[in-house]
Amino acid sequence: MADVVFITEGDSLGARVLQMVESVVDQDHGSVALVFLIGVIFGGIIQYTRVDKFEKIAGFSMLKDTIVPKMLFLAVGLTSIALYFMIEAGGAHYHVKPIVLQGLIIGGVLFGISMAILGKCPGTGPISIAEGRIDVLIGAIGGVLGGLVFTLYYDDFFKPLMGESLGNGILPDLFPGHENMVVLIFGIVVTLIAIFIPKVELFDEADLSQLSDDQRPDKK
Amino acid sequence: MNRLPWWMGGILMSGLLLLTFSIFGADRAIGSSTYVPYFAGIIFDLDPEKYTYLKEIKNSGSWEGIMLFGALFGGFITSVFITKSFRISFIPTAWKTYKNNSVVSRLLWSFFAGFIMIIGARLAGGCTSGHFMSGMSQMAISAMIFGGVVMVTLIVTGRLFYNVKGKK
Repeated sequence: MADVVFITEGDSLGARVLQMVESVVDQDHGSVALVFLIGVIFGGIIQYTRVDKFEKIAGFSMLKDTIVPKMLFLAVGLTSIALYFMIEAGGAHYHVKPIVLQGLIIGGVLFGISMAILGKCPGTGPISIAEGRIDVLIGAIGGVLGGLVFTLYYDDFFKPLMGESLGNGILPDLFPGHENMVVLIFGIVVTLIAIFIPKVELFDEADLSQLSDDQRPDKK
Repeated sequence: MNRLPWWMGGILMSGLLLLTFSIFGADRAIGSSTYVPYFAGIIFDLDPEKYTYLKEIKNSGSWEGIMLFGALFGGFITSVFITKSFRISFIPTAWKTYKNNSVVSRLLWSFFAGFIMIIGARLAGGCTSGHFMSGMSQMAISAMIFGGVVMVTLIVTGRLFYNVKGKK
């Protein structure tokens, strides 16, 4: 291991990337292989369902495609019920993000605007780049510069802008004594929303033309 | 069948979220925007000791960085062998239909949107993955506020930015 430590203490780009791997090894959040595998599955699901496409996310902003919200709401509905009882049984923990009201609202507005224009989010963007979308790669370069600006001016500008945290509240906390009922209702309602959002789709001829007629989803 | 239906995607994504949350998995939530400033730190060789934010995100940034490499790999393999959607392109088909035919316009808007997207996500402390999927699955109040604001802004922007009238 002495060699690895020596390399990761260096200052080159390669050493900084190795420090990233080392940081994951030092954490107690799964092995590097497992984290990589989680990424592979994540990328595979997003690519296989085609929700990384501009037509799906920008299409939703124009209300011409509802696959993304249907899939998101279904994933949330199912996970919320299973996760709650998994946590109760000691099989998982809460990792709730703080309620920084100003940050959530200003950040949400910026995020919503950019998601409509780019037609991607930070999770689906890389999957698009992996299938050869140069425009999204340019978006990612913009994103890295955004991340740089955020890091440089965090103390002086962005942290004060986010405001103080109002705690890490979750919905069931607001109904003491009825937590289980709240979780079930939330999970079922969100799942039903996913099912009842009308299914509309915006297809991309450039992708469809790669498929044979019997495979084309628009001709079924 | 070259793509999965939305319900299958939702079920699989739910399974992946649960695996990641589980103490037998990663015992944390999936997120995918913290890696961006983390990479900015790596690329521009910022000293992690000098910047408060890099110190704060050291663990989640590196974790998501490894996950991102996996996602790029998984996305690439799937696009080449299963969905057959891999091709180099500069402008989405629907951008041509609802915005314009200019590659320069698309690239400039992409750059601008990418820039404010990461600032927005970091201000809010999460993105679609961290807030919407992982946060809402925990019924977090923060995720519901973020999700509501994003949904409304997304749809208003879509209405105003794209030329949707008179086109099907």
